[in-house]
Order: sequence, then structure tokens, then C-alpha cells
Amino acid sequence: MEDEKRNGAVAALIENTREMQEAVAPMQAEYEQKLRRREARDLDESKMFRRFKIKDIVFLAIVTACTLVTSAIMPLLIHVPVFGIIQLGLGLQFSVFPVIGLMKVRKAGSMTIMGIFIALFLVMMFPPMALIAVCAAVVELVVFVIFRSYKSDWACVLAGTLYMPLTVPLLYLYYNVNYTVTGDENEAVSMFLGATEPWVIAGMTAAIVALCFAGSVIGMVVSRELKKAGVLKK
Amino acid sequence: MKFFKFKTRLYPLVAIAASLFVIIFGLAYARGRYTGIYLLGVLVWLCPFGCLRGVLRMLPAFVVFGGAFAGIAYASAGGDVSAAISMLNRFGALFLGVALSMSVSAVRMTRSLSQARAPRAVTLGMLISMSFVPMLKGEISRVREAMRTRGAGSLLNPKILYRAFLVPLVMRLVNISDTLALSVETRGFTLGGGLYSIYEKEYPAISDVLFLVGIAAGAALTVVL
Repeated sequence: MEDEKRNGAVAALIENTREMQEAVAPMQAEYEQKLRRREARDLDESKMFRRFKIKDIVFLAIVTACTLVTSAIMPLLIHVPVFGIIQLGLGLQFSVFPVIGLMKVRKAGSMTIMGIFIALFLVMMFPPMALIAVCAAVVELVVFVIFRSYKSDWACVLAGTLYMPLTVPLLYLYYNVNYTVTGDENEAVSMFLGATEPWVIAGMTAAIVALCFAGSVIGMVVSRELKKAGVLKK
Repeated sequence: MKFFKFKTRLYPLVAIAASLFVIIFGLAYARGRYTGIYLLGVLVWLCPFGCLRGVLRMLPAFVVFGGAFAGIAYASAGGDVSAAISMLNRFGALFLGVALSMSVSAVRMTRSLSQARAPRAVTLGMLISMSFVPMLKGEISRVREAMRTRGAGSLLNPKILYRAFLVPLVMRLVNISDTLALSVETRGFTLGGGLYSIYEKEYPAISDVLFLVGIAAGAALTVVL
């Protein structure tokens, strides 16, 4: 009698488990299909939004460290109140290495991630420059509006070319506030050299853009060479 | 009860927030009557909270740059002392802010960000960039050593810079990155929402609150007076 009761309870338990499995099965299948879709998307290089892997983050972090190490001149330049001098001194490093990073990790968000890594260091050294992370995000938007993805090498070059020049307006505002003094007659005098001369502004901006473009092209050439040699694997 | 402890090191996020506040306040109120006194107060206030080293490191730079630009401001404003003082205030605010943020080590900053549930990609990247800097310096010197051994010539020559320096350096970077990524993965790092341990956690203490209250009260007094 007791055995029959126990068997009945076990059978009910098994039945219940089966019912639950049947109820969960479509959800599980849907989840597995979602995972498969996500994996296929990650493998498809024509897609703009793909998940980052550890190796992508590691490479972007190393490229950032390289950018920072080669920009050791920055502490000296930040106290020189000449329009665009920081960008002119750092333009090459801030275009060669980010382009190499983008040529290897061609995923949406790569530039912003590099910008965030650099900003996390700069916030401790020269806080106004930490807004470079915002510039990186803006650059990424511009590139995606024009090229839709980093598939083309020239998309990477465009990102590298615009990255540093976009900090010009930000630092212009900061230096204008910092280096303007008001005398007895309430007349403001700016010690920010070249900031009031349209020709100097235009000339310096053109020089910065040209330098960053040259740096970006160098980054692209180095990456292409390494890709041809089989070093820069995806 | 960790909170009720007086720590001589500031909580990293508090230090960064205070640094930004001092810079912005210093720039906005550079012409205030009591801003100089406030900044001097901040300078003294920083010392018991573990920023003495940073302050001492920034002081010579402040004297040189601040002094030079205060002199130029004095001359360009027609001998107006207040113009020179406002310039000194701006430089003072910037250097105090930098001294404050310099007191935070990158490792502690990474730990705090991890505790604050910052994306794993950000903390991992910060950790790698930070630990990679000395290694990178070594790599650069090794590439230059190889250049000297081969008699490759000067780095000032663009062709040599490209062929003998840039290409080998980037090649090393890629190889190191691959090895490091493998190593990080085998140690169980993931970018997803997986659980992870932080062995030495950072907690804000009552000293951080006291520090912030001091900074804010000083600023309030500067505005009100």
C-alpha cells in the first residue's frame, strides 16, 4: 500500500518535471538561438556592432599605453599658452597609435574605449584634457555617419585625423578663461597667444589637421604592412 | 565599522571629485577677494590627507609657471596687482587639483571603479595600460638597442624611424598583446557579467567626509564673504 503511494508520488513528480521541461523548452531554444545569432554576428565582420573580446580590450589598452608613453612631452606643453601648441606637439602620437588600434579592432566603440582609457589617466594629470573621451565619441559618430563601419581603412584614417583636432575648441575655451586678465580699466587682456588672430587660428588648425592626417596615414601603412606579414591577425 | 576610521589616504573617487571641484571653483572665482586664502587653506588641508608628496611635487612647477604668468599678467594689465593675483589663483587651483589626483594610485582607482561596478572592460583596460607603461619603456629601449647594434642611424631620419623603429615596435606590441590576452583569459577574466573578487576593497571613511566638508565649507565661505 505504502509502495503504491510512493510510486504514485514519484510518477507525479516525474510528470511535473516533464511538464516544466516542456514549458521551458521553447524559452531555452530561443535563448540558444539568440546565443548562436550573437556568435554569428560577432564573426561577421561587415556588422557594425560586435561584442568586444578580451584580446580586443588588451590590444586597445596597450595601444593607449603606447600613446601615453610617447606623449611624455605633454607636461611641458600644457603650460605654454600658444593656440594649438598641445595638439601640434601630440598630434602625431595621437593619430598613429589610435589608427593602429582601429585597424586591428574594427568594432563600433573602439575609439571611445581608447578615449576613455586615455581620459582615465589624463584626469589625474591635466583634467581639462580628459574631455578627449567626448571627442573620441564624437569622432566615432562622424565616422559611422560617413562610412557606417570601420571596414574601410580610410574610416580609421578619418577617425585618427579628427581625434586630436576636436580637442582644439575645448582647450581654446579653457585657455581663454585661464589666461585672460582684467586690468584697472576693466579691459580684458588675453595672454593666450594667437587666440584672437583669425589667420593664426586657421593656420594652426590646418597644420594640426595635416599633421594628424599624416600620422593616421603612417598608422595605416604600418598596419597594412603588418597585416601583409601576417602579424596583425583579426 | 571601517567608516569610523581616520585614514591618511583619500578614497580615490572622493579625491578625483574634490580635484575637479577645486579646479572649477578656482577658475570660476579666480578674481574673488578671498580665493587666494581659500587655496592656501586647501593646500594646508591636503597635507594630513596623504597629498603632501603630490603638493611638494607640484610646488616648484607652480612657483615657476604661476610666478611667470602672474608677472606677465601684472605687466599686461598695467601694473594691476589683482590681475596678477587672479592669475596666481588659477594656476594654484590647477596645481592643487593635480596634486590631489596625483595622490591616487592607479591600482586603488581601478579597485574603486571595480567596486562601483564600472564595466569590466574599463577596469581591465586601465589595469593593463597602467602596468604596461614600464614594460613599454623597456621595449622601446630594446628596439633602440637593436637599431644601434645594426648601425641603423638616427631616429630623426623619417625612413629609419619608420622601418627600423615603428614597424618592429608595433610588431612587438601585437605579439605581447596576443600573449597577454591569452594569459588574462586563462586566469579567468571575462568581459561578461561574471562574478569576480576584489581582494583589497576600498571604502570611504569618516576622514573622506571630513575632507569634503572642509573643501566645501571653505568654498562656501569664499563665496559668502
